[in-house]
Amino acid sequence: MEPKTPEFGRFAEPSLLILVSLSDGPKHGYAIMQDVESGTGRPMGAGTLYAALVRLEEQGLVEPLTPIDRRRPYRLTAIGASNLAEQLRGLSEFAQQGLRQLGENQP
Amino acid sequence: MRSLLIRLYPARWRARYGDEFEAILEERPLGPFDVADILLGALDAQLRLRGQRASSEHERGFRMTLRIGGFAAILGASLIVIVIALTGGHTEGSENANTIALLVALAALLVALTGMSAFQARTNPWLVWTAFAVTAVGTVVIFIAGVSDLAGAGPRDWRDGPLPIGVVTAALGSAAFGIATFRASVLSRKGALSLVIGPAVGFIGAIAVGQDLWALGMSLVLVGIVSFLAGWFTLGVAAIRLDRTSALKPA
Repeated sequence: MEPKTPEFGRFAEPSLLILVSLSDGPKHGYAIMQDVESGTGRPMGAGTLYAALVRLEEQGLVEPLTPIDRRRPYRLTAIGASNLAEQLRGLSEFAQQGLRQLGENQP
Repeated sequence: MRSLLIRLYPARWRARYGDEFEAILEERPLGPFDVADILLGALDAQLRLRGQRASSEHERGFRMTLRIGGFAAILGASLIVIVIALTGGHTEGSENANTIALLVALAALLVALTGMSAFQARTNPWLVWTAFAVTAVGTVVIFIAGVSDLAGAGPRDWRDGPLPIGVVTAALGSAAFGIATFRASVLSRKGALSLVIGPAVGFIGAIAVGQDLWALGMSLVLVGIVSFLAGWFTLGVAAIRLDRTSALKPA
C-alpha cells in the first residue's frame, strides 16, 4: 500500500516544521531555522535543515525561488500545502482523541 | 572552517546547494552543535547519494539533537558515579577498568557538551569552543594515561601519572560550559551553576588535602564531585525535557 505521506525517515519532524514555517509565505533557509527555533524552543542545525529541505524539494512539496544575494527562498507548492494540511489534520484528530480519552478517564 | 565543512558534502550536492548553504553558515557563529549537525548532514548526503542508486525506499538520516546531548550527559555522569561507587574513590588494583570507564564517561560528556551547546554558542561561541577543547584535551590525557597503564608503563601511584591532570582539565572544561550555559540562560541555570561550583569546590578541597586538612579537604572534594555530577544530570534531564515537550508548541 502506498503511504499517505512521503517517507522522510528520521527527518519527518524537521520536514513538518519546515512546511509549517513556509505556510505563511516564502522564506530562505536561515529564516526557516529562526522560525522553527522560536516556534519550538529547540535548535535546528543547518545540516538538519538542508537534509530535510532536499527531501521536500525532491518530493515536490517545496520549490526554490530565485536567490537574493546567495540566500535562496523556498515556498510551499500546492502539493506541499495539501500534504501539510493532511498532516496537521491527522495530528489534530490524534490530539482530540487523546483529549477525549483523558476527559473520560478523569475523575 | 565553513568551506571545509561544505567540502564534506558530495560535489553534486555542493553544486546545487553549496552557495546558499554557505550563506546560512555565515549568518551566525558555529558551535560544536552546529559542526556536529553539519558533519551528520554531510554523512547523510553522502550515504543518500549512494543509496539512491540502489534503493530509495528507506531513507534514514542523522541529526544532532538536544536529546542526544541529554542522554550522553546522564550516561557520562552515571558512569562516573558507578566508578566512584565501585571503588570508593580508591583505584588501586583496578586502574585499567576505572580508566576505561572514566574515558567512556568523558567521551559521553563531550557528546553531551556538543548536543546541549546550540544556544550557548550563539552568544558565547568562544567560551563554548574553549569548554569543548579543554574537555577534549582532558579526555585525550586520560586516554594517554589509560594506554600507559595497559602497556604497563604507568606510574605505581595513579596520582603521579597524567590521570589527575586529565580529570582536572575535563572538570575545568565542564565548568566553562556551565558558565556559558548560565550566561545564555538556557536549559537549567541551577544545573549550570552546579557545574561551575563543583570543580571550584573540589579544587579548594584538593588544596586543603595538600595542606594536611584531610577531613575538611575530602569533604569539599566530595561536595565538589556531587555538585559536578548533579550539574550534568540536571542539564541532561533539562535537555531531554525540552526536546520532548517543546515540539510543535503553539507560538
